[in-house]
Amino acid sequence: MSTSTPTPVSGPTAARVVAAEWTKLTSLRSSWWIAAVTAAVGGAITYLSAQASSVDPGFQPVDSLSTGLVLAPVGLLVLGVLVGAGEFRTGAFRTTFTTVPRRAPVLVAQTLVVAAFALGVGVLTTTASALGILPAATSRGIAVDLTAGDGPALVLGMVLFFVGMALLGLALGALLRRTVPALVTALFLVLILPVVLMIATDPLVGGGDPASMVASEAVPRTTVVGTLTVLTPGTAGTLMTTSPSSGGMDGAPDLGPVGGGLVLAAWILVLLVAAAVRLRTRDVR
Amino acid sequence: MTTVRAAPARTGVSAARVLRAEWTKLTSLPSNAWLALGTVVAAAGTAYGLGLFVQPGDGRSGSWVVTSGFVLAQVGFLVLGVLVGAGEHTTGTARTTFATVPRRLPVLGAQVVVTAVAALLTALAALGVSVLATAPARAGDAPALDLSVPGAARALLGFALASVAVAVLGTGLGALLRRPAEALVSGVLLLVVGEHVLAMNPGRVTDTLRAFLPSSGARLVQDDAALAALDAATLGPRLGTWGGGVVVAAWVLVVLAAAAYRLVRHDVR
Amino acid sequence: MITVEALTKRYGSTTAVDGLTFTARPGTVTGFLGPNGAGKSTTMRVVVGLERPTAGTATVAGRRYADLHAPLHEVGVMLDARSVHPGRTAYKHLVSMAQTHGIGKARVREVIAQTGLEPAAHRRAGTFSLGMGQRLGIAGALLGDPATLILDEPVNGLDPDGVLWVRRLVRELAAEGRTVLLSSHLMHELALCADRVVIIGRGRLLADASVQEIVDRSQGAGTVRVRTTDPEPLARELLAAGAQVVRQEGGVLRVRAASVEEVGTAARRCGVTVLELGSESGSLEEAYLELTGEALEYRAADVQGGAR
Repeated sequence: MSTSTPTPVSGPTAARVVAAEWTKLTSLRSSWWIAAVTAAVGGAITYLSAQASSVDPGFQPVDSLSTGLVLAPVGLLVLGVLVGAGEFRTGAFRTTFTTVPRRAPVLVAQTLVVAAFALGVGVLTTTASALGILPAATSRGIAVDLTAGDGPALVLGMVLFFVGMALLGLALGALLRRTVPALVTALFLVLILPVVLMIATDPLVGGGDPASMVASEAVPRTTVVGTLTVLTPGTAGTLMTTSPSSGGMDGAPDLGPVGGGLVLAAWILVLLVAAAVRLRTRDVR
Repeated sequence: MTTVRAAPARTGVSAARVLRAEWTKLTSLPSNAWLALGTVVAAAGTAYGLGLFVQPGDGRSGSWVVTSGFVLAQVGFLVLGVLVGAGEHTTGTARTTFATVPRRLPVLGAQVVVTAVAALLTALAALGVSVLATAPARAGDAPALDLSVPGAARALLGFALASVAVAVLGTGLGALLRRPAEALVSGVLLLVVGEHVLAMNPGRVTDTLRAFLPSSGARLVQDDAALAALDAATLGPRLGTWGGGVVVAAWVLVVLAAAAYRLVRHDVR
Repeated sequence: MITVEALTKRYGSTTAVDGLTFTARPGTVTGFLGPNGAGKSTTMRVVVGLERPTAGTATVAGRRYADLHAPLHEVGVMLDARSVHPGRTAYKHLVSMAQTHGIGKARVREVIAQTGLEPAAHRRAGTFSLGMGQRLGIAGALLGDPATLILDEPVNGLDPDGVLWVRRLVRELAAEGRTVLLSSHLMHELALCADRVVIIGRGRLLADASVQEIVDRSQGAGTVRVRTTDPEPLARELLAAGAQVVRQEGGVLRVRAASVEEVGTAARRCGVTVLELGSESGSLEEAYLELTGEALEYRAADVQGGAR
């Protein structure tokens, strides 16, 4: 990928590097597939979930808005990993880093580009999700107003969740430089670790009887496992897609949407800095 | 057209020879050894960690404590299988492999066998290390490993069987999709995420879907009491003792059949 | 013997190979020549069964490659130097190939020595230079001591020593009565080591003949080149005598349909001083460029020092 230079004297400016990265991202077919599938699956799951819960007496359509996001992290993590590690995997980095020898601007540009693309995917999927809850809301005669109450915060949180997941993938890809290890790590952190931690606190999996379930109610408000769970990037990010008034998870400190967002941001920042350090100090092969 | 030299006795391709070759290929990649080690550590580490949280009244058995690392270790088995199945195609080794064995199917068969053997050995090691790692927990609050508990011995065996099934499923997905990232994402969706998402929305439809996902193979690592509890809680079909194993075996066969079809019908790049 | 008959391979709407027919015979090095994207590698991949033809057939020793009982012993194949897992050592790569045919480790060490890979045999293939990768590919092709060899661009990335070594190797292999099919886009290379040349462009056969025949066919063959202080009168004189003359820079004339003697005599008749005079033989390169000029799929935007 070349930054097109009209005259020999003009070098790779920040804007040009960003433009080049944008072209790279959008010229990949898989980017558009991920966007389309994420929005379609998100909308479909939201629709099914809203339909299922529309029979509940206390049904609030807006509560179903973020239910379709359970699978969304997969596509965004893949997108981020492909951008972050793709350079190294395909050998394209030799072109990239000989074109822009200072390297760090490339990582910054990739961050901006991935964030912008994920923002678009987020808006698209949130729109699909909003359409997904309409049939259920109409059937119950409830008007959907996303501009009132928790609505704006929820929509914002959802869109930021998309950006966060994609950037987490990017940071891991850029740090580990290989698709498979980066992908395994990302899926592990976001999807598998919370499940493992959940098993630690879920007596039913072990074949518990009702008595033991009662016993688990007596577990103190904040547990070690609960705290660990809420500090994983995926769970922290999911907090952004909950209403501020919905309260915290069982056994976990109540971080709220903002706190969850900060935890996720901290993960991304630490990983991106590590990737930048590796980029600067290690050879590119 | 004759060979000019007096050629020595020339032996051709046979299934046993392809099997030896695939075993050499598997064991000659250092990354596979690291992967196996990581899988053992993940299994034992998870078992150790989860063992710390077992309370006397939980209704969890000693075999549960030992096999609880499966939830994490299965990712290692999946990756192992995917790398065997897809590695050929991403690295270009496929050109060499399938020019050497042009009938192709023996290669897939051999890959399945060596993956299964490697997964079995890794699973046995993981099981052994998990038993050792959970010894402190079992000496404390967690129950002792008592093989007379109904299904406990079967659960330990099931750990090995489920691990092999997940690894071979990975090989099938890798050979079918020919790219590790796609195969890995599909595998994680089928084995971990699908189960998790559906379990969050219990219902007749979702529980039925859940029963027919390959993640049902994880039932193999549960003892009788745990299986009974799972069957009591579900609104879908009750899979009983071996139902989960049958489901995952069916998945393995279907995916492998699809991979074999693609391998035979489609060009190798 | 490799026989390709009316072979066609399409990918969707793209036709990579179009009705190609040729034969590579035992005891002969057959050069397979064509510009990038002409369909050489596709043809070779079809011959060794990695891709199935859309139409037509490709056989080795009269049989489809996929039907061979012991492919390594019948056909040695080197398609792409990057047909190796980068994490595996060269030795283990060859051992795994050998095991499929029950070939012993002694033979593996033999081909490693033969291809000069000994110092690198236990290094991961991912660390290899292009030239080392080529040697590993050739080692794999030689493993089964096959009667037929198919080598795709074997000299790519080799150092001058390596190029010389490949040239000598393929000549020896052919002298032993083997069939060697060798692709290249380097004309000089093939001129030096091939007996016959099959030239293709855009998937079609352009020529299938001995190197000498193709060279003789080129326009350069039989041209007389003369350099004088004053080309104008000489050109007029030669044209009047019925020759064809092309004027070039530096007082050079290229003359067809006239012998060296006739040009020299003509020069004396019009009194110009001859600085150089000689007949030119055609080159394979010239013939190749003439043949492929129209068939070039990717033509350079501005062709300087033109082909035709």
